[in-house]
Amino acid sequence: MPDIASGASASASGRHPMVEISARVNGRQVVRSVPNHYRLIDFVREELKLTGSKEGCGAGECGTCSMFLDGKLIKSCLTPVHKVQGCAVETIDDLDRDHGMTVVQQAFHKCGASQCGYCIPGMVMAATSTLRRNPHAGIDEIKEGLGGNICRCTGYQKILDAVELARDVINGATAPAALQEEPADNFMGHRTRRLDAPSKVTGAIKYAADMWMANMLHMQVLRSPHPHARILAIDTRRASALPGVECVLTSDDVPGVDNFGVFIEDQPVMARGVVRYVGEAVAAVVAETVDIARAALRLIEVQYETLPGLFDPEAAMQPGAVQLHAFAANNICKHTRIRKGDVDAAMREADLVVEEIYETAPIEHAYLEPEAGLAYVEPDGCVTVQSPSQNITHHRHMLAKILGRPINKVRMIMSTVGGGFGGKEDMIYQGMMALGAIKTRRPVRYVFTREESFAASAKRHPFKIHYTMGLKRDGRIVATKMVMVSDGGAYAMSTPGVMNKSAILGPGPYAIANVWVDAIGVYTNNTPSGAMRAFGAFQSEFATEAHLDLCAERLAMDPVALRMLNLMRDGALTHTMQPLDRVLATDCLQAAVAAAGWDAGVPHRRAHGLPARTDLDGPGTRAPCTLGAYLPSAAPSHQEEQQHEA
Amino acid sequence: MLSFDHYVTPQTLDAAFDAIGRFAGARLVAGATDLLPWAREGRAGDVHLPAMVDVSRIPELCALSVQGDRIRMGAATPISAFQNDPRLQKLAPVLGRCAVWFADDQIREQATVGGNLVNASPAGDSQPALLALNASVTLARRVAARIESRCMPLSDFIVGPGKTQLAGDEILTTIECDAVPGWGAAFEKVGHRRSLVISTVCLAALIRLDWAQRRIDDCRIAIGAVGPVPERLHDVEMRLRGQPPGAELLREAALMTADRVRSRSRQQYRREVLANFVERALASALAQSGVALERLPKESVHA
Repeated sequence: MPDIASGASASASGRHPMVEISARVNGRQVVRSVPNHYRLIDFVREELKLTGSKEGCGAGECGTCSMFLDGKLIKSCLTPVHKVQGCAVETIDDLDRDHGMTVVQQAFHKCGASQCGYCIPGMVMAATSTLRRNPHAGIDEIKEGLGGNICRCTGYQKILDAVELARDVINGATAPAALQEEPADNFMGHRTRRLDAPSKVTGAIKYAADMWMANMLHMQVLRSPHPHARILAIDTRRASALPGVECVLTSDDVPGVDNFGVFIEDQPVMARGVVRYVGEAVAAVVAETVDIARAALRLIEVQYETLPGLFDPEAAMQPGAVQLHAFAANNICKHTRIRKGDVDAAMREADLVVEEIYETAPIEHAYLEPEAGLAYVEPDGCVTVQSPSQNITHHRHMLAKILGRPINKVRMIMSTVGGGFGGKEDMIYQGMMALGAIKTRRPVRYVFTREESFAASAKRHPFKIHYTMGLKRDGRIVATKMVMVSDGGAYAMSTPGVMNKSAILGPGPYAIANVWVDAIGVYTNNTPSGAMRAFGAFQSEFATEAHLDLCAERLAMDPVALRMLNLMRDGALTHTMQPLDRVLATDCLQAAVAAAGWDAGVPHRRAHGLPARTDLDGPGTRAPCTLGAYLPSAAPSHQEEQQHEA
Repeated sequence: MLSFDHYVTPQTLDAAFDAIGRFAGARLVAGATDLLPWAREGRAGDVHLPAMVDVSRIPELCALSVQGDRIRMGAATPISAFQNDPRLQKLAPVLGRCAVWFADDQIREQATVGGNLVNASPAGDSQPALLALNASVTLARRVAARIESRCMPLSDFIVGPGKTQLAGDEILTTIECDAVPGWGAAFEKVGHRRSLVISTVCLAALIRLDWAQRRIDDCRIAIGAVGPVPERLHDVEMRLRGQPPGAELLREAALMTADRVRSRSRQQYRREVLANFVERALASALAQSGVALERLPKESVHA
């Protein structure tokens, strides 16, 4: 093993000793020299350019990097490359041995078991491993076999269906014809194949982090360790002087109007004079390798003057609180109001007024594909950024303004998105990448670590909801008042839209004559909140439905009957005064009740002398996964026992 | 990111000691499944080590043998062997029951039993199973060109969270434990989800009935994740030995565990789970020995 650098200088220079690795990869002998800290996933992806295997977490949690090492399924992000010396590696990229798709892959295609597709290479490998071990594996064994793999899109059902289909074809119980598409004259209720599924189940499709260009450079970003601080000085001289560093970027390098945001353009590409949350980008390094860029980050000297932080939205609205943005009085980012009828008068008329406070937590989207991108300047001067952006047209307009370029010299290409769920609507890194490409005149690639994605990206808004509902004794809702305060974090991102949606949809699909809603999104020094699945409706409707259950209890009413009574019907007027000519809410609830086999009656049945529920664990209810399906003498499973005890 | 100047993979124990001697501050590594996630942002961050000494290709650290009523396994034996090795399946089925709760398929192929012990996490899943099997560990060191070994019970080896008796110049080479064919065995674990989860409570139980199946001849219970180190419940075992198995007895045993929870958090929850685990594990182990018991109703535990 050649000694290129000693320890101290290896981490300081970003130039690590190299190691020569000789292994059989997908049946071909390879001998390559790579940095000695490489893991197997780096060797396969960065050195061999076999990008079918993904890196979702880098810590063994997600399973997207699963591959076979000497026939055993392992997680390649937990495998130092030295461990493959002289071994055989098998990856998703050539699982089919050049014969089209394997049975497992065909079954995934057939069953629609790929959505964003990012977890699918790992899922296919885990399924292959499970069925290689036992071509008659039952559903419990299959679930156990996929236990180390996470999917964030599908809810797993289609994946499990696919593995069961593959099993039956492999063990001969089902003819291979079952893998073919079933003819149907209707898309609804049929397994219509997804056009992109073959490229996803084989790992062929390229996500942003899978893309390579000649002469490509790598970017790394220095992020704020402080929730609120003034930047007194940034000294990039030592970082710039490090061999292999092509440029170091700060907000001084932004030529145009340095602001972006989905609704309010309040966020600079990199912190400008002040940092407002832990994880905010402060400076970026573009270098020959990721290692050199990381080493250079440590050489950037930033002088901060820490400022008092705001971490509670209610405290942030108090007079005298620190102001985070000059334009936002009392740190209020968005206040959405709905006023319909006379809520105070209606509450006085109510037989029952129920009050409660509900709180929801911030939530990370945790899409399996961490943010990544590739930026380059075309020969005609057009800056192009490929990234899994969920909002390319808007990003293009903002980026043109930020770069001070005409719109026809800025191009955004949406790469295949490995899960977004709203979390990739914010242009939190594409600006830095475009600047890096312009400045270096070379392609620039940037791939977030999972930790970086957690720290820098938006979260679901946490809400605190003060709920007051007035009802008549028969269950009719006469008035709803919701006062909601939400932590929008350091920048607006999607806060205004989320406030609107949470207010408009919050009181639920119920006909209520008197409605009062305040939805207040507040700036704090917490991680920014942004778009996430249901865009605010989840939080406010959670409160409404929880509150209705509480009201049903207080009224000694069947909770379904309470909702049925209040649901909007044809001709209803929404909370924002929109007349609806046709409403199917009652039909929908009836269908759900019929499908669920609901036992009508009040909550707390025993207290009311009613018999115990009979609508739980009915036909079609799938038992929870049992463990130990692999064990030779299968003992009675714990879960079964628990069910009997329950 | 974990980086290092040297990564060596010795093929013999002697070569491993050579490497330790050559690189001051070298770190031993076997499966690496705990080491790599540790050297990431939010935990240790970027870590640079002088050298990594990978012991997973030393033949004696990978060997597995049965000598009389003791099983010997090399420290680099992967956890997957707990499930897949026919000798362990037959002679120590509690290990297989432990393995199905341990991380996931992939990590069980990579992680090693020695690594799980040296790591000494209070929630290490293999520890209760091995404690119940009266495991001992062998630590080797080289003194003047001779390899010297010392052996100690696993219960003495782990002294605190992340702390063991392993000295800087020693290598854990072998784990020995009882062969217990025919004993009833159970392993219980709960965490936030099923796979790949740190135990909130885990427990291993072994039970052997006398020849007439009338009395509990011997039993062993070990618990993990509820205190700084995993431990045996010797007082409960004493209470059970020699007694005819019965639902009331199991309940009494379960209630004896109330003061054993010494974790930093969620004590009340863990107390309730632990009591239920003791009862359920004993009932399950007895069922394998041919004694089916109807458990007492759940409500009376910590009523």
